Amino acid sequence: MDAALLEQMLLGALLALSVYLPLRCGQLSLATPGFYAVGGYVAALLSTGVPAFAGSGATSPLPALLAEMALGGALAGLIALAIGRPVLRLRGIYLAIATIALVEILRVLNLNLPFTGGAMGIFGIPQPFEHAGGYVLFTLALLAVASWLCQRLEALRLGRAMAAIRDDELAAASVGIDTPRTKLIAFVASAVLAGITGALAAHFFNSWNARAGSFDASITTLAFVVFGGSRFWLGPVLGGLALTALPELLRPVGDLRLILFGAVILLGPLFFPQGLVTAERLRGLAAVLGRSRGRGHQAPQTP
Amino acid sequence: MSASPDGSTAATTPLLQVEAISCRFGGLLALDQVSLELAEGEIFGLIGPNGAGKTTLFNVISGLTTPSGGRCLWRGVPTAGLGPCGLNRLGIARTFQNLRLFESLSVRENVLVGLHHAARAPLLGALLGNGAFRRHQERLEARAMELLTLLELAALAEQRAGDLPYGDRRRLEIARALATAPRLLLLDEPAAGMNPAEKDDLRQLISRIRDHFALTVLIIEHHVPLMMRLCDRLAVLNFGERIALGSPAEVRTDPRVIEAYLGGSGGGSGGGQGSAAGEGR
Ligand SMILES: Nc1ncnc2c1ncn2[C@@H]1O[C@H](COP(=O)(O)OP(=O)(O)OP(=O)(O)O)[C@@H](O)[C@H]1O
Ligand SMILES: [Mg+2]
Repeated sequence: MDAALLEQMLLGALLALSVYLPLRCGQLSLATPGFYAVGGYVAALLSTGVPAFAGSGATSPLPALLAEMALGGALAGLIALAIGRPVLRLRGIYLAIATIALVEILRVLNLNLPFTGGAMGIFGIPQPFEHAGGYVLFTLALLAVASWLCQRLEALRLGRAMAAIRDDELAAASVGIDTPRTKLIAFVASAVLAGITGALAAHFFNSWNARAGSFDASITTLAFVVFGGSRFWLGPVLGGLALTALPELLRPVGDLRLILFGAVILLGPLFFPQGLVTAERLRGLAAVLGRSRGRGHQAPQTP
Repeated sequence: MSASPDGSTAATTPLLQVEAISCRFGGLLALDQVSLELAEGEIFGLIGPNGAGKTTLFNVISGLTTPSGGRCLWRGVPTAGLGPCGLNRLGIARTFQNLRLFESLSVRENVLVGLHHAARAPLLGALLGNGAFRRHQERLEARAMELLTLLELAALAEQRAGDLPYGDRRRLEIARALATAPRLLLLDEPAAGMNPAEKDDLRQLISRIRDHFALTVLIIEHHVPLMMRLCDRLAVLNFGERIALGSPAEVRTDPRVIEAYLGGSGGGSGGGQGSAAGEGR
Protein backbone atom coordinates (compact mmCIF):
# COMPACT_ATOMS: atom_id res chain seq x y z
CA MET A 1 0.00 0.00 0.00
CA ASP A 2 1.54 3.31 -1.01
CA ALA A 3 1.71 6.35 1.23
CA ALA A 4 -0.59 8.40 -1.02
CA LEU A 5 -3.42 5.90 -0.61
CA LEU A 6 -2.78 5.71 3.11
CA GLU A 7 -3.04 9.49 3.31
CA GLN A 8 -6.37 9.47 1.47
CA MET A 9 -7.64 6.82 3.85
CA LEU A 10 -6.69 8.94 6.85
CA LEU A 11 -8.42 11.96 5.35
CA GLY A 12 -11.47 9.75 4.81
CA ALA A 13 -11.40 8.74 8.48
CA LEU A 14 -11.28 12.41 9.55
CA LEU A 15 -14.27 13.23 7.35
CA ALA A 16 -16.12 10.25 8.75
CA LEU A 17 -15.57 11.63 12.26
CA SER A 18 -16.98 14.94 11.05
CA VAL A 19 -20.18 13.17 9.91
CA TYR A 20 -20.24 11.17 13.13
CA LEU A 21 -20.30 14.16 15.51
CA PRO A 22 -23.80 15.43 14.60
CA LEU A 23 -25.05 11.85 14.21
CA ARG A 24 -23.93 11.17 17.75
CA CYS A 25 -26.71 13.47 18.84
CA GLY A 26 -29.12 12.16 16.24
CA GLN A 27 -28.62 14.85 13.61
CA LEU A 28 -28.25 13.56 10.07
CA SER A 29 -26.13 16.35 8.59
CA LEU A 30 -24.57 15.85 5.14
CA ALA A 31 -22.80 19.21 5.21
CA THR A 32 -19.30 17.82 5.84
CA PRO A 33 -18.04 18.03 2.22
CA GLY A 34 -19.18 21.66 2.01
CA PHE A 35 -17.10 22.62 5.05
CA TYR A 36 -14.24 20.45 3.76
CA ALA A 37 -14.28 22.44 0.51
CA VAL A 38 -14.31 25.75 2.40
CA GLY A 39 -11.30 24.72 4.48
CA GLY A 40 -9.45 23.65 1.34
CA TYR A 41 -10.11 26.96 -0.39
CA VAL A 42 -8.84 28.88 2.63
CA ALA A 43 -5.55 26.95 2.50
CA ALA A 44 -5.32 27.11 -1.29
CA LEU A 45 -5.93 30.86 -1.46
CA LEU A 46 -3.62 31.73 1.42
CA SER A 47 -0.72 29.55 0.34
CA THR A 48 -0.86 30.57 -3.31
CA GLY A 49 -1.78 34.22 -2.87
CA VAL A 50 -0.40 35.51 0.43
CA PRO A 51 3.41 35.70 0.60
CA ALA A 52 3.51 35.13 4.36
CA PHE A 53 1.88 31.70 3.88
CA ALA A 54 3.47 30.76 0.58
CA GLY A 55 7.02 30.11 1.72
CA SER A 56 9.74 29.73 -0.91
CA GLY A 57 8.83 28.22 -4.26
CA ALA A 58 7.00 24.90 -4.10
CA THR A 59 7.44 24.29 -0.39
CA SER A 60 5.48 25.92 2.39
CA PRO A 61 6.51 26.16 6.04
CA LEU A 62 4.78 23.97 8.62
CA PRO A 63 3.63 26.91 10.80
CA ALA A 64 1.84 28.30 7.73
CA LEU A 65 0.05 24.97 7.28
CA LEU A 66 -1.03 24.99 10.92
CA ALA A 67 -2.28 28.57 10.60
CA GLU A 68 -4.22 27.70 7.44
CA MET A 69 -5.79 24.71 9.15
CA ALA A 70 -6.81 26.91 12.06
CA LEU A 71 -8.27 29.54 9.74
CA GLY A 72 -9.98 26.98 7.50
CA GLY A 73 -11.52 25.32 10.54
CA ALA A 74 -12.53 28.69 11.96
CA LEU A 75 -14.27 29.85 8.76
CA ALA A 76 -16.13 26.56 8.41
CA GLY A 77 -17.09 26.77 12.09
CA LEU A 78 -18.33 30.35 11.69
CA ILE A 79 -20.51 29.39 8.73
CA ALA A 80 -21.92 26.50 10.75
CA LEU A 81 -22.52 28.80 13.72
CA ALA A 82 -24.32 31.34 11.54
CA ILE A 83 -26.69 28.89 9.86
CA GLY A 84 -26.86 26.22 12.59
CA ARG A 85 -29.77 27.43 14.72
CA PRO A 86 -32.41 27.60 11.99
CA VAL A 87 -31.11 24.59 10.06
CA LEU A 88 -30.96 22.35 13.12
CA ARG A 89 -34.62 22.98 13.84
CA LEU A 90 -35.22 20.57 10.97
CA ARG A 91 -35.32 16.91 11.81
CA GLY A 92 -34.27 13.66 10.18
CA ILE A 93 -34.45 13.60 6.43
CA TYR A 94 -35.40 17.30 6.25
CA LEU A 95 -32.15 18.23 7.93
CA ALA A 96 -30.29 15.95 5.51
CA ILE A 97 -31.88 17.70 2.53
CA ALA A 98 -31.19 21.17 3.92
CA THR A 99 -27.52 20.31 4.47
CA ILE A 100 -27.26 18.88 0.94
CA ALA A 101 -28.64 22.22 -0.26
CA LEU A 102 -25.95 23.97 1.79
CA VAL A 103 -23.25 21.87 0.12
CA GLU A 104 -24.71 22.80 -3.28
CA ILE A 105 -24.82 26.51 -2.42
CA LEU A 106 -21.19 26.43 -1.30
CA ARG A 107 -20.23 24.52 -4.46
CA VAL A 108 -21.89 27.04 -6.75
CA LEU A 109 -20.31 29.89 -4.80
CA ASN A 110 -16.90 28.25 -5.11
CA LEU A 111 -17.43 27.88 -8.85
CA ASN A 112 -18.45 31.47 -9.38
CA LEU A 113 -16.64 33.65 -6.86
CA PRO A 114 -14.09 35.88 -8.65
CA PHE A 115 -11.13 34.59 -6.62
CA THR A 116 -11.68 30.81 -6.46
CA GLY A 117 -10.47 29.97 -9.95
CA GLY A 118 -13.78 28.86 -11.49
CA ALA A 119 -14.18 25.26 -12.60
CA MET A 120 -10.42 24.73 -12.84
CA GLY A 121 -9.91 25.76 -9.24
CA ILE A 122 -6.57 26.62 -7.73
CA PHE A 123 -3.29 25.00 -8.82
CA GLY A 124 0.24 24.68 -7.59
CA ILE A 125 -0.52 24.66 -3.88
CA PRO A 126 2.91 24.47 -2.18
CA GLN A 127 3.93 21.39 -0.23
CA PRO A 128 4.76 21.46 3.48
CA PHE A 129 6.10 17.89 3.26
CA GLU A 130 8.47 16.54 0.65
CA HIS A 131 7.01 13.04 0.61
CA ALA A 132 3.56 11.58 1.12
CA GLY A 133 5.03 9.89 4.20
CA GLY A 134 5.26 13.28 5.91
CA TYR A 135 1.57 13.86 5.26
CA VAL A 136 0.76 10.42 6.61
CA LEU A 137 2.53 11.05 9.90
CA PHE A 138 1.00 14.50 10.28
CA THR A 139 -2.52 13.30 9.44
CA LEU A 140 -2.13 10.32 11.72
CA ALA A 141 -1.36 12.72 14.56
CA LEU A 142 -4.42 14.80 13.67
CA LEU A 143 -6.61 11.71 13.54
CA ALA A 144 -5.23 10.60 16.90
CA VAL A 145 -6.13 13.96 18.47
CA ALA A 146 -9.63 13.95 16.92
CA SER A 147 -10.24 10.36 18.06
CA TRP A 148 -8.97 11.15 21.54
CA LEU A 149 -11.40 14.09 21.78
CA CYS A 150 -14.26 11.85 20.64
CA GLN A 151 -13.21 9.27 23.23
CA ARG A 152 -13.15 11.90 26.00
CA LEU A 153 -16.63 12.97 24.94
CA GLU A 154 -17.94 9.65 26.27
CA ALA A 155 -16.99 10.70 29.81
CA LEU A 156 -18.19 14.32 29.56
CA ARG A 157 -21.64 15.67 30.28
CA LEU A 158 -21.68 17.07 26.75
CA GLY A 159 -21.27 13.55 25.38
CA ARG A 160 -24.04 12.20 27.61
CA ALA A 161 -26.31 15.09 26.61
CA MET A 162 -25.65 14.28 22.94
CA ALA A 163 -26.50 10.62 23.47
CA ALA A 164 -29.66 11.61 25.34
CA ILE A 165 -30.78 13.85 22.47
CA ARG A 166 -30.14 11.01 20.03
CA ASP A 167 -32.39 8.71 22.05
CA ASP A 168 -35.18 11.20 22.85
CA GLU A 169 -34.81 14.90 22.21
CA LEU A 170 -37.94 15.89 24.08
CA ALA A 171 -37.05 13.89 27.18
CA ALA A 172 -33.56 15.42 27.04
CA ALA A 173 -35.05 18.92 27.09
CA SER A 174 -37.29 17.96 30.00
CA VAL A 175 -34.27 17.05 32.15
CA GLY A 176 -32.80 20.49 31.58
CA ILE A 177 -30.57 19.93 28.55
CA ASP A 178 -30.39 22.93 26.23
CA THR A 179 -31.01 20.82 23.14
CA PRO A 180 -30.63 23.53 20.44
CA ARG A 181 -27.30 24.56 21.94
CA THR A 182 -26.02 21.00 22.24
CA LYS A 183 -26.96 20.23 18.65
CA LEU A 184 -25.27 23.44 17.53
CA ILE A 185 -22.05 22.52 19.34
CA ALA A 186 -21.99 19.15 17.56
CA PHE A 187 -22.69 20.79 14.20
CA VAL A 188 -19.98 23.44 14.64
CA ALA A 189 -17.44 20.85 15.86
CA SER A 190 -18.24 18.78 12.77
CA ALA A 191 -17.68 21.82 10.52
CA VAL A 192 -14.41 22.77 12.22
CA LEU A 193 -13.04 19.24 11.79
CA ALA A 194 -14.09 19.17 8.13
CA GLY A 195 -12.54 22.61 7.53
CA ILE A 196 -9.24 21.58 9.13
CA THR A 197 -9.21 18.38 7.08
CA GLY A 198 -9.89 20.36 3.89
CA ALA A 199 -6.98 22.72 4.53
CA LEU A 200 -4.64 19.77 4.91
CA ALA A 201 -6.11 17.95 1.90
CA ALA A 202 -5.66 20.97 -0.38
CA HIS A 203 -1.91 20.81 0.17
CA PHE A 204 -1.77 17.07 -0.25
CA PHE A 205 -3.73 17.10 -3.53
CA ASN A 206 -1.72 20.10 -4.71
CA SER A 207 -4.83 21.58 -6.37
CA TRP A 208 -8.34 22.35 -5.17
CA ASN A 209 -11.62 22.85 -6.97
CA ALA A 210 -15.35 22.83 -6.34
CA ARG A 211 -15.59 19.06 -6.85
CA ALA A 212 -14.20 18.58 -3.33
CA GLY A 213 -17.59 19.49 -1.94
CA SER A 214 -20.24 17.74 -4.00
CA PHE A 215 -23.41 15.75 -3.43
CA ASP A 216 -21.46 12.58 -4.27
CA ALA A 217 -19.03 13.34 -1.49
CA SER A 218 -21.93 13.83 0.94
CA ILE A 219 -23.18 10.35 0.20
CA THR A 220 -19.73 8.79 0.31
CA THR A 221 -18.88 10.29 3.69
CA LEU A 222 -22.26 9.20 5.04
CA ALA A 223 -21.50 5.68 3.80
CA PHE A 224 -18.31 5.71 5.90
CA VAL A 225 -20.38 6.12 9.03
CA VAL A 226 -23.23 3.81 8.04
CA PHE A 227 -20.69 1.13 7.20
CA GLY A 228 -18.53 1.58 10.28
CA GLY A 229 -21.30 2.32 12.78
CA SER A 230 -22.38 5.59 14.33
CA ARG A 231 -22.38 4.67 18.02
CA PHE A 232 -18.70 4.89 18.81
CA TRP A 233 -15.93 6.91 17.16
CA LEU A 234 -13.99 3.80 16.14
CA GLY A 235 -16.80 2.90 13.73
CA PRO A 236 -16.54 5.94 11.47
CA VAL A 237 -12.74 5.80 11.59
CA LEU A 238 -12.74 2.19 10.37
CA GLY A 239 -15.48 2.95 7.85
CA GLY A 240 -13.56 5.94 6.49
CA LEU A 241 -10.31 3.97 6.19
CA ALA A 242 -11.90 0.92 4.59
CA LEU A 243 -14.26 2.59 2.14
CA THR A 244 -11.58 5.02 0.93
CA ALA A 245 -9.17 2.16 0.29
CA LEU A 246 -11.66 -0.16 -1.35
CA PRO A 247 -12.08 1.52 -4.77
CA GLU A 248 -8.30 1.79 -5.09
CA LEU A 249 -7.68 -1.80 -4.04
CA LEU A 250 -10.30 -2.91 -6.54
CA ARG A 251 -8.61 -1.07 -9.40
CA PRO A 252 -7.18 -4.30 -10.92
CA VAL A 253 -10.68 -5.62 -11.64
CA GLY A 254 -11.37 -2.66 -13.91
CA ASP A 255 -14.93 -1.49 -14.47
CA LEU A 256 -16.23 -4.13 -12.13
CA ARG A 257 -14.82 -2.20 -9.19
CA LEU A 258 -17.61 0.36 -9.00
CA ILE A 259 -20.15 -2.44 -8.97
CA LEU A 260 -18.24 -4.25 -6.24
CA PHE A 261 -17.89 -1.02 -4.27
CA GLY A 262 -21.62 -0.46 -4.58
CA ALA A 263 -22.29 -4.02 -3.49
CA VAL A 264 -20.18 -3.55 -0.34
CA ILE A 265 -22.03 -0.35 0.54
CA LEU A 266 -25.31 -2.16 -0.03
CA LEU A 267 -24.44 -5.39 1.78
CA GLY A 268 -22.63 -3.78 4.72
CA PRO A 269 -25.81 -2.37 6.29
CA LEU A 270 -27.72 -5.54 5.39
CA PHE A 271 -25.39 -7.76 7.38
CA PHE A 272 -24.34 -5.18 9.96
CA PRO A 273 -27.37 -2.94 10.41
CA GLN A 274 -25.67 -1.09 13.29
CA GLY A 275 -22.38 -0.83 11.41
CA LEU A 276 -19.20 -2.76 12.09
CA VAL A 277 -18.53 -1.30 15.53
CA THR A 278 -21.39 -1.74 17.98
CA ALA A 279 -21.69 -1.52 21.75
CA GLU A 280 -21.98 -5.30 22.04
CA ARG A 281 -18.86 -5.96 19.99
CA LEU A 282 -16.95 -3.32 21.94
CA ARG A 283 -18.01 -4.90 25.22
CA GLY A 284 -16.90 -8.27 23.88
CA LEU A 285 -13.55 -6.81 22.91
CA ALA A 286 -13.17 -5.09 26.28
CA ALA A 287 -13.95 -8.38 28.05
CA VAL A 288 -11.26 -10.17 26.05
CA LEU A 289 -8.73 -7.40 26.72
CA GLY A 290 -9.70 -7.24 30.38
CA ARG A 291 -9.17 -10.98 30.77
CA SER A 292 -5.73 -10.90 29.21
CA ARG A 293 -4.82 -7.86 31.33
CA GLY A 294 -6.19 -9.62 34.42
CA ARG A 295 -3.80 -12.50 33.75
CA GLY A 296 -0.98 -9.99 33.43
CA HIS A 297 -1.79 -8.62 36.89
CA GLN A 298 -2.00 -12.01 38.49
CA ALA A 299 1.30 -13.21 37.15
CA PRO A 300 3.53 -11.33 39.63
CA GLN A 301 1.45 -12.57 42.57
CA THR A 302 2.42 -16.20 42.07
CA PRO A 303 6.17 -16.36 42.07
CA MET B 1 -60.86 27.95 47.48
CA SER B 2 -60.21 31.65 47.08
CA ALA B 3 -57.48 33.07 49.29
CA SER B 4 -58.92 34.22 52.57
CA PRO B 5 -58.44 37.91 53.27
CA ASP B 6 -57.03 37.28 56.75
CA GLY B 7 -53.56 36.93 55.24
CA SER B 8 -52.87 33.37 56.30
CA THR B 9 -52.66 32.22 52.69
CA ALA B 10 -51.38 35.51 51.30
CA ALA B 11 -48.23 35.17 53.38
CA THR B 12 -47.03 32.21 51.31
CA THR B 13 -47.11 32.47 47.54
CA PRO B 14 -48.17 29.14 46.04
CA LEU B 15 -45.36 27.20 44.38
CA LEU B 16 -47.32 26.94 41.16
CA GLN B 17 -50.44 28.75 40.03
CA VAL B 18 -52.33 27.54 36.99
CA GLU B 19 -54.58 30.38 35.92
CA ALA B 20 -57.47 29.77 33.54
CA ILE B 21 -55.43 27.57 31.20
CA SER B 22 -57.19 26.68 27.96
CA CYS B 23 -55.79 24.43 25.31
CA ARG B 24 -57.37 23.92 21.92
CA PHE B 25 -56.39 21.25 19.39
CA GLY B 26 -58.32 22.10 16.24
CA GLY B 27 -61.97 21.66 17.13
CA LEU B 28 -61.22 19.99 20.45
CA LEU B 29 -61.04 22.02 23.63
CA ALA B 30 -58.71 19.78 25.63
CA LEU B 31 -58.51 22.22 28.57
CA ASP B 32 -61.19 24.76 29.35
CA GLN B 33 -60.13 27.55 31.74
CA VAL B 34 -58.53 25.22 34.25
CA SER B 35 -57.16 26.80 37.43
CA LEU B 36 -55.18 25.21 40.25
CA GLU B 37 -52.80 26.26 42.98
CA LEU B 38 -50.14 24.01 44.41
CA ALA B 39 -48.87 24.77 47.88
CA GLU B 40 -45.29 23.91 48.70
CA GLY B 41 -44.93 20.37 50.05
CA GLU B 42 -48.31 18.93 49.17
CA ILE B 43 -49.16 15.88 47.11
CA PHE B 44 -51.82 16.99 44.71
CA GLY B 45 -53.77 14.48 42.65
CA LEU B 46 -55.30 14.95 39.22
CA ILE B 47 -57.96 12.46 38.24
CA GLY B 48 -60.49 12.21 35.47
CA PRO B 49 -61.62 9.88 32.68
CA ASN B 50 -59.49 9.07 29.65
CA GLY B 51 -59.12 12.08 27.39
CA ALA B 52 -60.09 14.52 30.13
CA GLY B 53 -56.98 16.64 29.49
CA LYS B 54 -54.78 15.58 32.40
CA THR B 55 -51.66 14.89 30.35
CA THR B 56 -52.31 18.05 28.34
CA LEU B 57 -52.23 20.04 31.59
CA PHE B 58 -48.88 18.40 32.47
CA ASN B 59 -47.58 19.31 29.03
CA VAL B 60 -48.58 22.93 29.55
CA ILE B 61 -47.02 23.09 33.02
CA SER B 62 -43.77 21.49 31.82
CA GLY B 63 -43.54 23.66 28.71
CA LEU B 64 -44.11 21.02 26.04
CA THR B 65 -47.39 22.56 24.92
CA THR B 66 -48.15 26.26 24.61
CA PRO B 67 -51.64 26.95 25.96
CA SER B 68 -54.12 28.86 23.84
CA GLY B 69 -55.19 30.87 26.88
CA GLY B 70 -54.30 31.48 30.51
CA ARG B 71 -50.94 31.37 32.20
CA CYS B 72 -48.82 29.55 34.77
CA LEU B 73 -46.93 31.27 37.57
CA TRP B 74 -43.94 29.78 39.37
CA ARG B 75 -43.60 31.35 42.82
CA GLY B 76 -45.65 34.21 41.44
CA VAL B 77 -43.65 34.73 38.23
CA PRO B 78 -45.18 33.94 34.80
CA THR B 79 -43.45 31.06 33.05
CA ALA B 80 -44.60 31.73 29.49
CA GLY B 81 -42.00 31.03 26.81
CA LEU B 82 -39.56 29.16 29.03
CA GLY B 83 -39.83 25.81 27.29
CA PRO B 84 -39.18 22.39 28.85
CA CYS B 85 -35.48 23.01 29.48
CA GLY B 86 -36.04 26.38 31.14
CA LEU B 87 -38.88 25.06 33.28
CA ASN B 88 -36.79 22.12 34.41
CA ARG B 89 -34.08 24.53 35.47
CA LEU B 90 -36.69 26.45 37.46
CA GLY B 91 -37.41 23.25 39.35
CA ILE B 92 -40.14 21.36 37.49
CA ALA B 93 -39.40 17.75 36.57
CA ARG B 94 -41.76 15.19 35.12
CA THR B 95 -42.28 11.63 34.03
CA PHE B 96 -44.14 10.59 30.90
CA GLN B 97 -47.28 8.51 30.58
CA ASN B 98 -45.77 6.74 27.56
CA LEU B 99 -42.30 6.39 29.11
CA ARG B 100 -39.53 8.33 27.44
CA LEU B 101 -36.29 6.84 28.73
CA PHE B 102 -32.95 7.09 26.97
CA GLU B 103 -33.28 3.50 25.93
CA SER B 104 -29.84 2.86 24.49
CA LEU B 105 -28.18 4.15 27.67
CA SER B 106 -27.73 2.19 30.87
CA VAL B 107 -29.92 2.74 33.93
CA ARG B 108 -27.01 4.56 35.60
CA GLU B 109 -26.40 6.75 32.56
CA ASN B 110 -30.07 7.73 32.43
CA VAL B 111 -29.74 9.15 35.92
CA LEU B 112 -26.39 10.78 35.04
CA VAL B 113 -28.12 12.58 32.17
CA GLY B 114 -30.64 13.80 34.73
CA LEU B 115 -27.68 15.16 36.71
CA HIS B 116 -26.71 17.24 33.65
CA HIS B 117 -26.86 20.47 35.56
CA ALA B 118 -24.93 19.23 38.55
CA ALA B 119 -22.32 17.82 36.15
CA ARG B 120 -21.03 21.22 35.03
CA ALA B 121 -17.22 21.15 35.23
CA PRO B 122 -14.34 23.22 33.82
CA LEU B 123 -13.76 22.06 30.23
CA LEU B 124 -10.00 21.76 30.27
CA GLY B 125 -9.92 19.71 33.46
CA ALA B 126 -12.71 17.54 32.09
CA LEU B 127 -10.86 16.94 28.80
CA LEU B 128 -7.66 16.01 30.56
CA GLY B 129 -9.54 14.06 33.20
CA ASN B 130 -7.52 15.67 36.01
CA GLY B 131 -7.93 14.93 39.70
CA ALA B 132 -10.54 17.61 40.36
CA PHE B 133 -12.65 16.32 37.47
CA ARG B 134 -12.34 12.71 38.63
CA ARG B 135 -13.45 13.63 42.15
CA HIS B 136 -16.35 15.61 40.68
CA GLN B 137 -17.23 12.58 38.57
CA GLU B 138 -17.11 10.29 41.61
CA ARG B 139 -19.51 12.58 43.46
CA LEU B 140 -21.91 12.44 40.50
CA GLU B 141 -21.71 8.67 40.33
CA ALA B 142 -22.34 8.45 44.07
CA ARG B 143 -25.35 10.75 43.73
CA ALA B 144 -26.69 8.61 40.87
CA MET B 145 -26.29 5.44 42.91
CA GLU B 146 -28.04 7.09 45.87
CA LEU B 147 -31.06 7.85 43.70
CA LEU B 148 -31.03 4.37 42.18
CA THR B 149 -30.89 2.85 45.65
CA LEU B 150 -33.80 5.01 46.77
CA LEU B 151 -35.85 3.72 43.84
CA GLU B 152 -34.67 0.14 44.30
CA LEU B 153 -32.85 0.08 40.98
CA ALA B 154 -29.25 -0.11 42.18
CA ALA B 155 -28.85 -3.75 41.20
CA LEU B 156 -29.87 -2.91 37.64
CA ALA B 157 -27.47 0.02 37.23
CA GLU B 158 -25.57 -1.40 34.26
CA GLN B 159 -28.61 -2.73 32.38
CA ARG B 160 -29.75 -1.03 29.21
CA ALA B 161 -32.82 1.06 30.06
CA GLY B 162 -34.60 -0.31 26.99
CA ASP B 163 -34.32 -3.84 28.38
CA LEU B 164 -36.02 -3.12 31.71
CA PRO B 165 -39.45 -4.47 32.63
CA TYR B 166 -42.29 -2.00 32.81
CA GLY B 167 -42.37 -1.24 36.54
CA ASP B 168 -38.62 -0.66 36.67
CA ARG B 169 -38.86 1.76 33.76
CA ARG B 170 -41.48 3.79 35.58
CA ARG B 171 -39.26 4.00 38.65
CA LEU B 172 -36.24 4.86 36.53
CA GLU B 173 -38.15 7.79 35.04
CA ILE B 174 -38.79 8.99 38.58
CA ALA B 175 -35.10 8.60 39.45
CA ARG B 176 -34.08 10.55 36.36
CA ALA B 177 -36.56 13.31 37.17
CA LEU B 178 -35.33 13.49 40.78
CA ALA B 179 -31.75 13.77 39.54
CA THR B 180 -32.56 17.22 38.17
CA ALA B 181 -33.14 18.37 41.79
CA PRO B 182 -36.71 19.55 41.21
CA ARG B 183 -38.99 21.39 43.63
CA LEU B 184 -42.08 20.14 41.83
CA LEU B 185 -42.40 16.60 40.52
CA LEU B 186 -45.06 15.78 37.93
CA LEU B 187 -45.93 12.08 37.77
CA ASP B 188 -48.09 10.96 34.84
CA GLU B 189 -49.69 7.62 35.72
CA PRO B 190 -46.66 6.20 37.56
CA ALA B 191 -48.57 3.10 38.65
CA ALA B 192 -49.86 2.16 35.19
CA GLY B 193 -49.19 -1.49 34.43
CA MET B 194 -48.28 -2.35 38.04
CA ASN B 195 -49.95 -5.04 40.11
CA PRO B 196 -51.69 -4.13 43.41
CA ALA B 197 -48.64 -4.92 45.55
CA GLU B 198 -46.39 -2.81 43.34
CA LYS B 199 -48.93 0.00 43.40
CA ASP B 200 -48.91 -0.02 47.17
CA ASP B 201 -45.10 0.05 47.23
CA LEU B 202 -45.16 2.94 44.80
CA ARG B 203 -47.58 4.89 46.96
CA GLN B 204 -45.28 4.55 49.95
CA LEU B 205 -42.31 5.40 47.79
CA ILE B 206 -43.91 8.64 46.59
CA SER B 207 -44.67 9.68 50.18
CA ARG B 208 -41.13 8.86 51.16
CA ILE B 209 -39.69 10.85 48.26
CA ARG B 210 -41.85 13.82 49.15
CA ASP B 211 -40.60 13.77 52.74
CA HIS B 212 -37.00 13.05 51.83
CA PHE B 213 -36.66 15.88 49.29
CA ALA B 214 -39.33 18.22 50.75
CA LEU B 215 -40.94 18.07 47.31
CA THR B 216 -44.27 19.14 45.95
CA VAL B 217 -45.87 16.39 43.87
CA LEU B 218 -48.57 16.65 41.22
CA ILE B 219 -49.73 13.19 40.25
CA ILE B 220 -52.09 11.76 37.63
CA GLU B 221 -53.38 8.28 38.36
CA HIS B 222 -56.49 6.32 37.44
CA HIS B 223 -56.43 4.11 40.49
CA VAL B 224 -58.78 6.09 42.72
CA PRO B 225 -58.27 4.27 46.05
CA LEU B 226 -54.53 4.84 45.75
CA MET B 227 -55.09 8.52 45.06
CA MET B 228 -57.48 8.88 47.98
CA ARG B 229 -54.86 7.52 50.35
CA LEU B 230 -51.88 9.30 48.84
CA CYS B 231 -53.03 12.82 48.04
CA ASP B 232 -53.50 15.81 50.31
CA ARG B 233 -55.80 17.41 47.76
CA LEU B 234 -57.33 16.35 44.47
CA ALA B 235 -58.71 18.01 41.38
CA VAL B 236 -61.05 16.27 38.95
CA LEU B 237 -61.01 17.00 35.24
CA ASN B 238 -63.79 16.03 32.86
CA PHE B 239 -63.81 17.03 29.18
CA GLY B 240 -61.15 19.62 29.87
CA GLU B 241 -63.10 21.22 32.67
CA ARG B 242 -62.14 21.20 36.33
CA ILE B 243 -65.29 19.90 37.97
CA ALA B 244 -64.07 19.48 41.54
CA LEU B 245 -61.25 20.40 43.85
CA GLY B 246 -60.61 19.63 47.48
CA SER B 247 -59.58 17.03 50.02
CA PRO B 248 -60.10 13.35 49.16
CA ALA B 249 -63.15 13.28 51.41
CA GLU B 250 -64.68 16.33 49.73
CA VAL B 251 -64.00 15.05 46.24
CA ARG B 252 -65.33 11.58 47.01
CA THR B 253 -68.71 12.98 48.01
CA ASP B 254 -68.96 15.67 45.32
CA PRO B 255 -72.11 14.90 43.30
CA ARG B 256 -70.58 16.10 40.03
CA VAL B 257 -67.63 13.79 40.49
CA ILE B 258 -69.83 10.84 41.33
CA GLU B 259 -71.87 11.51 38.23
CA ALA B 260 -69.02 12.22 35.82
CA TYR B 261 -66.24 10.00 36.94
CA LEU B 262 -66.86 7.58 39.73
CA GLY B 263 -70.19 6.59 38.25
CA GLY B 264 -71.49 6.03 41.76
CA SER B 265 -69.41 2.86 42.21
CA GLY B 266 -66.98 4.71 44.46
CA GLY B 267 -63.62 3.59 43.20
CA GLY B 268 -64.34 1.76 39.95
CA SER B 269 -62.79 3.06 36.76
CA GLY B 270 -65.10 5.22 34.72
CA GLY B 271 -62.34 5.54 32.15
CA GLY B 272 -63.90 3.44 29.45
CA GLN B 273 -67.11 5.41 29.29
CA GLY B 274 -65.32 8.72 29.44
CA SER B 275 -63.08 7.84 26.57
CA ALA B 276 -65.94 6.65 24.41
CA ALA B 277 -67.76 9.90 24.99
CA GLY B 278 -64.57 11.84 24.28
CA GLU B 279 -64.03 10.18 20.95
CA GLY B 280 -67.63 10.72 19.98
CA ARG B 281 -67.12 14.45 20.01
N1 LIG C 1 -51.12 17.20 20.49
C1 LIG C 1 -52.44 16.94 20.39
N2 LIG C 1 -53.09 17.18 19.25
C2 LIG C 1 -54.40 16.95 19.14
N3 LIG C 1 -55.15 16.47 20.12
C3 LIG C 1 -54.57 16.21 21.29
C4 LIG C 1 -53.17 16.43 21.48
N4 LIG C 1 -52.86 16.08 22.75
C5 LIG C 1 -53.99 15.66 23.31
N5 LIG C 1 -55.03 15.74 22.45
C6 LIG C 1 -56.41 15.40 22.75
O1 LIG C 1 -56.77 16.11 23.90
C7 LIG C 1 -57.60 15.33 24.72
C8 LIG C 1 -57.01 15.24 26.10
O2 LIG C 1 -55.87 14.38 26.03
P1 LIG C 1 -54.98 14.04 27.28
O3 LIG C 1 -53.89 13.17 26.78
O4 LIG C 1 -54.63 15.26 27.98
O5 LIG C 1 -55.98 13.18 28.16
P2 LIG C 1 -55.70 12.44 29.55
O6 LIG C 1 -56.63 13.03 30.53
O7 LIG C 1 -54.27 12.45 29.86
O8 LIG C 1 -56.19 10.98 29.18
P3 LIG C 1 -55.56 9.56 29.60
O9 LIG C 1 -56.14 9.24 30.93
O10 LIG C 1 -56.07 8.65 28.56
O11 LIG C 1 -54.10 9.70 29.60
C9 LIG C 1 -57.76 13.97 24.05
O12 LIG C 1 -58.98 13.96 23.35
C10 LIG C 1 -56.60 13.94 23.09
O13 LIG C 1 -56.93 13.17 21.96
MG1 LIG D 1 -52.80 11.08 30.01
